[in-house]
Amino acid sequence: MQANLRVRRWDPDGDRTVRYDEFTVDLHENAMVLDALLDIRENQDETLSVRCSCRSSICGSCAMKVNGASTLACNTKLKDVTPNGTTVTIEPMGNMPVLKDLVVDLEVFWNKIHAVKPWLQPEGPDPVREYIVADEHMMNLINTVQCILCGACVSDCTVMEVDPSFLGPAALAKGYRFAADPRDGHKQERLETYAQPGGMWDCTHCYQCVQVCPKGVAPMEWILQLRHEAEAAGLTNTNGVRHSQSLAESVKESGWLDEAKLAMDSYGALGDKMKLVPIGVRSLLKGKMPKTGPFHHKRPGADHVERIFEELEGKHS
Amino acid sequence: MVFEHDVLIIGAGLAGLRAGIEAKRKGVDVAIITKVYPVRSHTNAAQGGINASLDEGDSWESHAYDTVKGSDYLGDQDAIEILAQEAPSDIIELEHMGVIFNRDEEGRLGTRAFGGASHARTYFVADITGQALLHVGYEQSLKHQVKTYSEFFATSLIMEDGACKGCVGIEMRTGEMHVFKAKAVIMASGGVGRAFEPSTNALICTGDGMALAYRVGAPLMDMEMVQYHPTTLPSNGALLTEGARGEGAYLTNSLGERFMTKYAPNMIELASRDVVSRSEQTEINEGRGINGCVMLDCRHLGAELIHTKLRQIWELARDFSGVDLVTEPCPIRPGMHYIMGGIKAGIHGETYVPGLYAIGETSCISIHGGNRLGANSLLELVVFGRRAGGHAAEYARSQKHASGGENLMDADAKKIKALLDKAQGGEMVGKLRLELGQEMNTHVAVYRDDAGLKQAVAKVKELKQRYRNVGLQNKGSVFNTNLLAALELENMLDVAEVITQSALYRTESRGAQFRTDYPERDDANWLKHTLAYKTDGDPRLEALPVTITKWQPQKRTY
Amino acid sequence: MKYAFYPGCVAKGGAPELYDSTLLVTQALGIELEELTGASCTGAGVLSERNPELADTLNARTFAMAEKLGLPLMNVCSTCHGVMSQANARLKQDPEYLARVNKHLAPEGLEYKGTTEIKHLLWVLMEDVGPDKLRAMVKQPLGDLKAAPFYGCYIVRPSWVLGYDEKPQRKHYLEDLIEVLGAEPVEYKGATQCCGFPILTMNRTNSLTMTGNHVSEATAKGADCMVTPCPLCHLNLDGGQVEAAGVVREHLDLPVLHLPQMVGIAFGIDHEKLGLHKNFVDTKPLREKITGRLS
Repeated sequence: MQANLRVRRWDPDGDRTVRYDEFTVDLHENAMVLDALLDIRENQDETLSVRCSCRSSICGSCAMKVNGASTLACNTKLKDVTPNGTTVTIEPMGNMPVLKDLVVDLEVFWNKIHAVKPWLQPEGPDPVREYIVADEHMMNLINTVQCILCGACVSDCTVMEVDPSFLGPAALAKGYRFAADPRDGHKQERLETYAQPGGMWDCTHCYQCVQVCPKGVAPMEWILQLRHEAEAAGLTNTNGVRHSQSLAESVKESGWLDEAKLAMDSYGALGDKMKLVPIGVRSLLKGKMPKTGPFHHKRPGADHVERIFEELEGKHS
Repeated sequence: MVFEHDVLIIGAGLAGLRAGIEAKRKGVDVAIITKVYPVRSHTNAAQGGINASLDEGDSWESHAYDTVKGSDYLGDQDAIEILAQEAPSDIIELEHMGVIFNRDEEGRLGTRAFGGASHARTYFVADITGQALLHVGYEQSLKHQVKTYSEFFATSLIMEDGACKGCVGIEMRTGEMHVFKAKAVIMASGGVGRAFEPSTNALICTGDGMALAYRVGAPLMDMEMVQYHPTTLPSNGALLTEGARGEGAYLTNSLGERFMTKYAPNMIELASRDVVSRSEQTEINEGRGINGCVMLDCRHLGAELIHTKLRQIWELARDFSGVDLVTEPCPIRPGMHYIMGGIKAGIHGETYVPGLYAIGETSCISIHGGNRLGANSLLELVVFGRRAGGHAAEYARSQKHASGGENLMDADAKKIKALLDKAQGGEMVGKLRLELGQEMNTHVAVYRDDAGLKQAVAKVKELKQRYRNVGLQNKGSVFNTNLLAALELENMLDVAEVITQSALYRTESRGAQFRTDYPERDDANWLKHTLAYKTDGDPRLEALPVTITKWQPQKRTY
Repeated sequence: MKYAFYPGCVAKGGAPELYDSTLLVTQALGIELEELTGASCTGAGVLSERNPELADTLNARTFAMAEKLGLPLMNVCSTCHGVMSQANARLKQDPEYLARVNKHLAPEGLEYKGTTEIKHLLWVLMEDVGPDKLRAMVKQPLGDLKAAPFYGCYIVRPSWVLGYDEKPQRKHYLEDLIEVLGAEPVEYKGATQCCGFPILTMNRTNSLTMTGNHVSEATAKGADCMVTPCPLCHLNLDGGQVEAAGVVREHLDLPVLHLPQMVGIAFGIDHEKLGLHKNFVDTKPLREKITGRLS
C-alpha cells in the first residue's frame, strides 16, 4: 500500500525554521507508522532524526504525535491513520522542547519521574525470603507497572500545557504505584508530597492521558485513586477534598447539586470564598434563577438516594 | 570534555544497572554510559520470566543440570553452578527491591513452567518480566544515585599498557566527543540481533560492545551459537513468549498435529529452544507449514488467562498479525533471537584484557553454551552483573587512570570526520545492513552447511569492502542517527565476520549450530569453545576446552 | 420521537437558559420529553472518584427509570453524558456487578436490565432528527457567522465508551451541526481540549488560563461565538471569561452559546425565551449581527 506522510522538521544545525516535509512510502498492508519513518530514514532522507528501538511497543522510544494525538509509532497502523488516501501528519511530542525533528528533550519528563522518588522504600529489616503479599493487593500495581515511560500522556496533558510545574500523569501514576505497594513504608510521606500544589489535585481529569496511553495504564484513574488515598489518610485541608466532600453531601442530602453551597464549601480560605460574591451578584443581575426557585430543595425520591448512600458508603474498594 | 570515574559501565540494561548498583554499594565512583535511556534497553523485551530454585521441592543441582543439558554440554559447569546457587538470593533481592512478581494463593512468589526445565522454577511478572525487572533496576540506580550518561555512544575503548582504561564516546544530543577515563570498564552492551533480518531484537542491538572489545584484543567465544526462538511473528519478527507454552499452549502444523510429540516425546512444546526451532523448521521444510509458518494455539487456555498472564503477547498478535489468540491460532516461525556467544569472560565477568569486564548477552562465560534456556538470560544479568560490579570495584581501587586527556579522542574524531566528509552517492548504510541481515538469516540460520557458510563469509567480506564507500546524507551534529547507524554497521560487520568464521570452524552440530554436513555432536573433538581473535586479516580461531564438574556429556533428548 | 429527559444539575440550577432553550428546541422539532424529575446527579466524575459503586448505582437508578418508561435517555451535558456512558458500559459488561447494584434499587421498585440508550441532545439532533430535517427547520439564516465548537472532554474521551469506533462521525457532530444550521465552523486546536472547570477551585489560575487560551485561540481564528454542549464548560468559558481575560492578559469578548441556544436562534425562536440575555458575555452584538436587529 502507498501512503503519504507530512513530517515536521526542525534542525538546530540548519536554518532553524520549522517546515513540514512530504514523503510517500510503499509498504505492506500491515505496516506501522514507524516502518514508514524507517523507510524514509534509510532510503529517502537520512537526515530525519527519530528515536526508536524495539518495534513492538515495549521500550517507549517512539512516542510522537500522529494526526495531533500522541501514540507509539510502532503500533499505529499506517492504514488506520491514512483513511481514503489522506496524508498523515507526524510531529514530535508536545509539552517538551524539540531537540531535532521528532526528537524531544526528555529531561523535563525524567525530572518529573524522579520527583516522586520512584523506588521502593521499605521500612525496617528485609524479611529472609519474600514479603508475603496477597496477589489481589498487587493487581492494581500490575496495571501501573505496564507504564513504559514513553511520555505520551505528558505530551498531551492539558494541564501541563498551561502549567509546567504540574507533576503530570506519568509521575503521579508512578507515585501511586509506590504509595499503594504494601511493602513501601513511606505511604504517608508520599501522599503528603503528591498532595502539594502541582500534585494530584491539579489534575483536571480531562481523560487525555487515558485516551493516549499506548499500554492502557490510564494514569488519570490512578491520580484519582491517589486523591482517595490522600483523603483517607487525613490530608483533607485542600480545596479538592472540600469540593469532593461537599458534592457528595449535596447529592446525598437532596439528590442533586446545590451549586452555590458547593462553590462556597470548596474554598477553605475566607478570602477565596469572598471571590464568589461578584459572580453570585452578576448571576442575579443576569436573571439566572434556578428552575426550582431560589432555594435549593430535595428532588423527588431523594430519600432513596440517601438510602443508597448509606448502604454503600464505606464500601469503596 | 574528559570525565573520570573509577568504574565505567557501557550499557544500561539490567546487567549494567545491576553492576552499577553493586559498584556504588562498594563505595567507588561509578558511571554508566548508554546509547539510549536506561528504560529503553532491550532487557525490556524479555517476556517470560527469571529462573531460580527457590521452591522447596527444587534444588540448585537440578537447575544447574537442566542448564548444562540445555547448553548441549558446551556450558562451563563451574559458572553454571554459581548461577544456580546464587539465583535464589538474587530473586529475593529483586523482590525486596520492589519487583511485583506473580504470587500464589499464599502470597508467596509463584512460578510457571518453562522450556527445558525439569521443575517449574520460572518467576514472572505477567508476560512483561523483562520490563518489570529493567524498570526496578532503573529505580534502584536512581535510589543509589548512580551517575548515568544517557544517549552517549561509545566509539572505542581506551587502552594503556595492555589494560583497558575507559572509552571515547559521542554525545548524541550535541555531536560532541568526550573521553571517559576509568580504572575498570564493564561492557554490558547487549546482543547483535540486527545483523540478522528479521530478528526479535530491537534496532539498538548492533553488537557494539563485542566489536569494541574484539578490536582491543579480547577474544569472542562461541559466536556461532545463535539462538532462533521458536515463536516469532512473521511480519516483523516480534517475539511471543515461551511463557505461552509454559502456560500450556500447543504448536501445530498444517495437519493440526502437535508435531513436537514426535521430536520431544517428554517435554513436547517445552523442549529446549534449539530443538523446538529445528523441529518447526523441519515441519515447514517438509511441507507441513502454512505460508512458511506453524501455529501457536492458545485457545484452550481461555480468555481470562490470556488477558492476565499473557496480555502483552495477546496485544502483539493482535497489533502485528491481526490475530486474536483467544479465538484463533497464530502463525509463527523461528526467528533470530539471542546470541549465546560473546566476549569471553570469567566467573566475575573478567575478560582476557585486564581492566575489561563483560556481562549479559554481550559476554560468554559460558553459561548458556550451545543453547540458552528461557528465563536464564534475565538471571544471568543480575547474578553476573552483581559479581562483575563488585569485582570491578575492588580491582579499580588498585588502578590508576590513563595518562592523556582530550587527545585520547583524536583517532575516533578523525575517523568520524572522514566519514562525515565523504561525499554521498556511494553506498547507503540502510541498504548494506539489510543485505547483511538477509544473508545471515539465509546461510547462518537454523540449518547450515559448508557451502552456505562460505558464501556468508564471502558476503561479509564484500560488505566490509563496500562499507568503505558509505557516504552519509546527514552531516549534522545534533542527534545524527545516520552517523550512529554507520558506526553500528561497522560493528555488526566485524561481529558477523566472527560469527560466520566460527560457524565454519566448528565442524559439528551442537546446541543451536546444526550443520547438515556434520549432523552429529562430536564430543571427542568438539567438547570445546571456539575463540576468535582479531588479526589484520581473517579472525584467528582457537579452541578452549569446556569446564566439566559434575555432569559428563550424554545424549540429549527431550 | 420521545425521550426520557435527564436535565442534570446545572441546567436546573445555574444555567436555566439551557433548560429553557432545550425545551423550546425539542418542542419545535416535535420531540416529546418526559423529565426524570427524581433522577439524581450523575456524580460528575467526582463521586465515582470517591466511591465508584455508589456512583454507578445512582446512575443505574436513572437508567432504570428511563428503561421503565421504555424510552431512550436524553441529556444536555457533556459531563453527564460521559459519566453516564462510562457507568452504563461497566454495568452492561458485568452481570454480577449489575445484580449487586440492582439490590439497592429494589426497595424503590426499580431494576436496571441494561438496555437504556444514552444520547446527548447533540446526538439526538444529528442521528435521530437528522441533518435534512434540521436544515428544513432553519428560519433564521446565520449569515457568515463563524462559530467555534467546544465539545467538553467527557463527550470526546475516552473514545471507546462513546461509540466512536462504530460511529466515527460523532467526532465532528458539532462542526456538522454548525454547518447544517448555515454557519461556518472554526477550526482550532482547543475544540476538544479542556476548559479547566474541574480544577476551578483547586487551581484557579490554571483553570482560567485554559479557558482564556481556548477563547483567545478561537477569537484569533475569526470566531464570532463559541458553542458548547456542556454547561460546566459554559460556566468557565462564559462565566469565567472576564476573569480569564485578566489571567491570560488579553482582551476577550466572545459570546458563548449553549448548544440549544444556537439551534434556537437558527430556528427563529424568540431570543429572550432562549435566555440569551442571561449569558454573561453579552450576546447582543452577536444577535444583532445575525438578525440585523434584536428580536
